[in-house]
Amino acid sequence: MFSVIIYGRNDSHGYNLHKRAAISFNAIAEVMSDPDDEILFVDYNTPDDHPTFPEAIQDTLTEKAKKVLRIFRVRPEQHVHLKARTHLVALEAQSRNVALRRSNPRNRWILYTNTDMLLVPRDEKQSLSDILGEIPDGFYQVPRFELPEMLWEAAFDRKDAVGNIAKLRDWSRRFHLNQVVHNFMPMRYDALGDFQAALREDMFAIHGFDEEMLLGWHCDSNLAARLALYRGSVDTLVDKVFGYHCDHTRVAAANNKGRQTKMNDQDRFIWDVSTPYLPDQAENWGWPEMEIEEIRLDRDTAFERFSAGISAALEPAAEPYRTTNLEWHLYNDLTYDLPHTLPFVCDQVLTYPRNSALMFVGTRPDFLSRFAVAWRAMGFTGPILVPRECEGLPLDTPGVEAGPFNDLLRRTDMFIFEFGVATQGINEPVRTGRILEAIDEKRLKGVERLFRQAAAREEETRPAHRRLSRRFIGVNVIYNRFWPLFTDYISANINPFCGQVLAGNPRIDPTMKGKVLRLRGRYAI
Amino acid sequence: MTDASLFMRFSGVLLDTWRKGLDRFATHSAPKPPEETDPELLYVRARGLARAGDYDTASRLFVRAGELAPTMAEALEAQGEILDIEGKPEQAMSKYEAVRKLRSQIRDSAPDRPFVLRQRRRFTAEIAAYTSVLHSIRRHTLPHIARGNAYLAEGRPKEALNDYNDILRWKPNHPDVMALKGEALAMLGEHDKALQAFDVAVAGRSKNPDILSGRAISRLAVGRLDQADADWRRQLELLPAEHASARGCVALRLADYEKALPEWERALEKEPHDPYWQLYRLTALHRLDRSAGPIQIDTIDVWPQPLLALHAAKLTADEVLACADTPERRAEALFQIGVLALPSDPAEARKRFNEVVEKAPPSMIEYAAARHELARLGS
Repeated sequence: MFSVIIYGRNDSHGYNLHKRAAISFNAIAEVMSDPDDEILFVDYNTPDDHPTFPEAIQDTLTEKAKKVLRIFRVRPEQHVHLKARTHLVALEAQSRNVALRRSNPRNRWILYTNTDMLLVPRDEKQSLSDILGEIPDGFYQVPRFELPEMLWEAAFDRKDAVGNIAKLRDWSRRFHLNQVVHNFMPMRYDALGDFQAALREDMFAIHGFDEEMLLGWHCDSNLAARLALYRGSVDTLVDKVFGYHCDHTRVAAANNKGRQTKMNDQDRFIWDVSTPYLPDQAENWGWPEMEIEEIRLDRDTAFERFSAGISAALEPAAEPYRTTNLEWHLYNDLTYDLPHTLPFVCDQVLTYPRNSALMFVGTRPDFLSRFAVAWRAMGFTGPILVPRECEGLPLDTPGVEAGPFNDLLRRTDMFIFEFGVATQGINEPVRTGRILEAIDEKRLKGVERLFRQAAAREEETRPAHRRLSRRFIGVNVIYNRFWPLFTDYISANINPFCGQVLAGNPRIDPTMKGKVLRLRGRYAI
Repeated sequence: MTDASLFMRFSGVLLDTWRKGLDRFATHSAPKPPEETDPELLYVRARGLARAGDYDTASRLFVRAGELAPTMAEALEAQGEILDIEGKPEQAMSKYEAVRKLRSQIRDSAPDRPFVLRQRRRFTAEIAAYTSVLHSIRRHTLPHIARGNAYLAEGRPKEALNDYNDILRWKPNHPDVMALKGEALAMLGEHDKALQAFDVAVAGRSKNPDILSGRAISRLAVGRLDQADADWRRQLELLPAEHASARGCVALRLADYEKALPEWERALEKEPHDPYWQLYRLTALHRLDRSAGPIQIDTIDVWPQPLLALHAAKLTADEVLACADTPERRAEALFQIGVLALPSDPAEARKRFNEVVEKAPPSMIEYAAARHELARLGS
């Protein structure tokens, strides 16, 4: 019957976002009763190494919410062409159009709202699907009622959607919450963007939201203006459903700077609208040709993929724990516990696109063979690229493609550089003062050389489809001699030794030291 | 004439001009009937009273407006809002339901026409609301267009034209507004002027199928059949495949039944019970000399079922014409009678098509289709 379209990213948009959003997702799912109903969340421009916002809060969502939720992940690389034109990190029009393009074509209605709304049918026996199923074609709004921050924060249980809706029915009168704020036409009510129901067919006919609106605010009013022209009127559902907004002004959100707030031009996008149509974006609104990843929380979840990867690559530990040691006299001991480290490496790659091409440069053949198994089992379809310059690695491992380093550089989406001991066996004790053999030193030297070159030449060797810098994952680069090397080139956080993994993007160091480093790296031999 | 009387007359002229200037942004008031018999004035007054908190008087006036104009859904809705505020939700909801029932009973007009002309109902609330907006926001496009469109959709092209011309005063040749002006002029029967407006609009919005539709109709009205056909053919190219009913309408205007038939079949997949799509499919099948199979007729009380009954040979031409209670319905009936007569009695068909062309407005699908049929018959 209807597709709800909302958007956001895995950040901190306003006060206690996680609770507001969980309350809202669960409450919206609760008033759905048609098998085709869906909540489409566009996760816009969350950094690649983060999960999407709904994945980050999935434990607070009801089973029903997880079942109806479809997440469309718009990657930073897909946003980068707009970056110079906006101060915002999440774009409303683009997000909503990406979802509209990919919405269930069997649904008659599209409902635009936000991740802090609860929709309460006035007739307890009716779902929102029932309501939308009964009404004639049109463009509908409802007034937004404000909910003081204390109420939703202190009294709502995130997963008790039924209870929360019941509380609102009680509070609406007890706390005098229901105040309809009328507005100028075509914005029939204030804060209209929290409930605008339009026919899916109408939204396609008018070419979706206006994607020129890149500065935030008034996207909802622009839509109202255009749909009001298209339909001739703005109808109300105030007799059928009340909409409650979890107020979040205790802390201003990123797009709210008081009187200094940058906004889309009201005159251009509201008062001088002259047609419902957007002919300049008629063919490309919602990025129809772009491949947008879809993520579900009721199947093939991040944990299921991670678990499948590790289970395929490793046997469970046979002992309660193993030990290592970071005392300084072991600084040059480069042994590490592969079964313990591999899950941390998998964790670093799991949130990346499944078709990513990953370059592996390292010393330990058992790392490559086991990582390749995990990579496939986690659902990745892209190749693991291994430079022929890396000696001693099992290049015939399924999923591995070997080639000259310089060629592979231009195909790579992310890198793993592993600095281990080529001769170390998987069951050897670690950090016990092992002395490196000549072959170990030779292999490490090769890895170091390729690392310097890759990091120094990252920008100029990017694949044609990439504009953003690529991620480097360093394995066994903490508290040993490769720590300074890795962090000279890569902007990595300080991580605990236990994980053995650092990751980040190439440092942009404009100082003389940075320039020298890049020069050394470029010609590393 | 004394200086004083000259001064009085001059002041009167100034005052009148000033009033008219103000009125351009308000109601364009022509002489109006007294408020108590004019549902629109009653509605506007009641709306103001309701916003001022006088719900009793407002409610009485809304009821009176509804009595005078039973199709004025906004009066019912406003009553519903007052009842809701007064804590009578059941009564309120029955009013809202009545509004939705009223609106669901109104059939949109031809889907190949511009969005503004697809809606066919009263827009009293919109006219009042945008008039109110215009008191605050004058030199902007939207409120003028929105109110002009509301007038146009109500069949009041003169008032619409005033609003469009207001915009064109400071945005000359704005293509979207020129397109609307063209439609208003066409509705007034001023097709030559309409064509001038459409030409400007098409130059600025060459890929807008709505504008081509308007220009085609005006071109046809002034006898330029070939040029009209060129616009309709271009409109067909521009309309997306999923707009089957709109494409079917354009093909039918062209009397291109080979093109129309698959469009009607697709339209019926989406809206299987739409009687007009069924009728137009039968029209195309008949003109292509293909069998339609059994025709299901549930009732002949509701238009256009008598036309389906005509195709099923369950009503005669005279019986159908007797059911056609408006000029538009009569034109639809005459066209279908002509279509059915064509194979066996071309002279009768020609006569019926001629009647359509003489009586129907050029914006009707049947008018254009009849013109094409007559051209083929060599008339």
